[in-house]
Amino acid sequence: MENAIKINNLTYQYQNQTTLFQDFNLTIDPGQWVALVGHNGSGKSTLAKLIMGLLTPTQGGITVFNQVLSESTVNDVRSQIGMVFQNPDNQFVGATVADDVAFGLENNEIDTKLMPKMIAKTLEIVGMSEYQDREPHTLSGGQKQRVALASVLALQPKIIILDEATAMLDPEGRQAVMATLTQLKEQFGDALTLVTITHDMDEAALADRVVVINDGQLILDGTPAQVFSEADVLHHNGLGLPFSGEVVAHLNQKPQKYLNESELISWLSTSNK
Amino acid sequence: MGNIMIGRFVPGKSVVHQLDPRTKIIGTFVFILLMLWANTWSTYLVAAIFVWFTILLTQQPLKMYIDGLKPIFWLLAFTIVLQIFFTGGTPVLLHFGFIKVTLPGVINALFVMFRFVLIILMSTIMTLTTPPTSIANALESLLKPLKSLKVPVAEMALMLSIALRFVPLLMDETQKIMNAQKSRGMSFSTGGPVKRAKAIVPLLIPLFVGALQRALDLANAMEVRGFKDAEHRTKYRILKYKKQDYQAFASLLLFSIIFFSVLYLI
Repeated sequence: MENAIKINNLTYQYQNQTTLFQDFNLTIDPGQWVALVGHNGSGKSTLAKLIMGLLTPTQGGITVFNQVLSESTVNDVRSQIGMVFQNPDNQFVGATVADDVAFGLENNEIDTKLMPKMIAKTLEIVGMSEYQDREPHTLSGGQKQRVALASVLALQPKIIILDEATAMLDPEGRQAVMATLTQLKEQFGDALTLVTITHDMDEAALADRVVVINDGQLILDGTPAQVFSEADVLHHNGLGLPFSGEVVAHLNQKPQKYLNESELISWLSTSNK
Repeated sequence: MGNIMIGRFVPGKSVVHQLDPRTKIIGTFVFILLMLWANTWSTYLVAAIFVWFTILLTQQPLKMYIDGLKPIFWLLAFTIVLQIFFTGGTPVLLHFGFIKVTLPGVINALFVMFRFVLIILMSTIMTLTTPPTSIANALESLLKPLKSLKVPVAEMALMLSIALRFVPLLMDETQKIMNAQKSRGMSFSTGGPVKRAKAIVPLLIPLFVGALQRALDLANAMEVRGFKDAEHRTKYRILKYKKQDYQAFASLLLFSIIFFSVLYLI
């Protein structure tokens, strides 16, 4: 089976010779939702930039849907991946919501006549239809990030990478973006691979698979349940647990394995009378 | 910071708002050219009526236009004083030592004032009713012939529209940094000019650093969305002259004819 993203013996050196990744390997299957977690400076954002071809690996290769990333294929690879960045303001290119979604379409030389329909459709998916003519400074952070997501969706990518996309949002905006992501995953199923880069463990808990990296090294890799049961390893790498994990840590009688929020609630109400 | 009227766009649904931005740019340009010609009372009257009529068509409160004139008040006053004091001729109206105030001087000063005010009003009409990006878009379209001279018109228009898009953001950031500095005891409005100028430095440095960071982020975001160059792109907004644009051009032509007949016949 072909992999969505395959990172093979990747080594990356900054210009000041500091090595971040050394023989790093990671494979992501199509349709997976992978959360890439690590504390600040762990290399998770650098990894995203390497995959997008914004940075060039010192050694090793990155393959996206069987296409090896190189200078000649970078535009093809980028057309398959969409990326949403951290700062909502710094990725808003257009003067209005519709213009911003159009920006990517214009770059890909889509026929002008087809654009309005495509824009309306993608804005509907993220629930921003009524904001079509609004200017960016009249939108909240969460709304801007949903527009960014729509701009990416308009290009029909197979993979979407969110690089700390909710880090600068208030709780409400964060929830709206995460809800949009969950809904997207349901709608597109295996046709969409999601990579969310975050240090928010509650966000990571939504994924199918959690990959923990620190100093460019793979620390843990598994389902949320597997990863969150390694509380000591996470703490050692500057990371916490999702809310449910933190609750369990303070219980006298603990469940056998990691439980997510709803599982924990039912466990508490049945077993611990 | 919020009271800068020059270049501000106010959304609306008036006839002037709906005109093609190119029509408005050409119209304003022609009007400015004509004003440089005007040198009799009657020409200014005709021009003033034309401006008044256009202002009415924009359906915006008159106060907005008066606010638009405020920033140029001192420049205007300075020019008028220069004209009054340093235009020679006879008859002499007043005499202060070596300074003479003459009738041609006063008339000249009034003409210069009217010219200034009318030109600013006309430009305010344009910027008030046209979103900045439409102006950038229109400039690209109007300057297209320069492409054959290898002028990167498309790049320049894109740069302009992105720059305009970041203006409110940077204004906001300036305000934030100022507040942050004020809360630590910095004062931007006391002391002599040297002290005030020095107070600007700790404001500019974080502002520049922030702007550069934004530029790098934006470049990444653009590249990731498939931006290669400004040439090989289609356009979402295509400008098209409509019926009202032809009407506007017709009234501009009518105005020019009246203007010149008044200038040469009366």
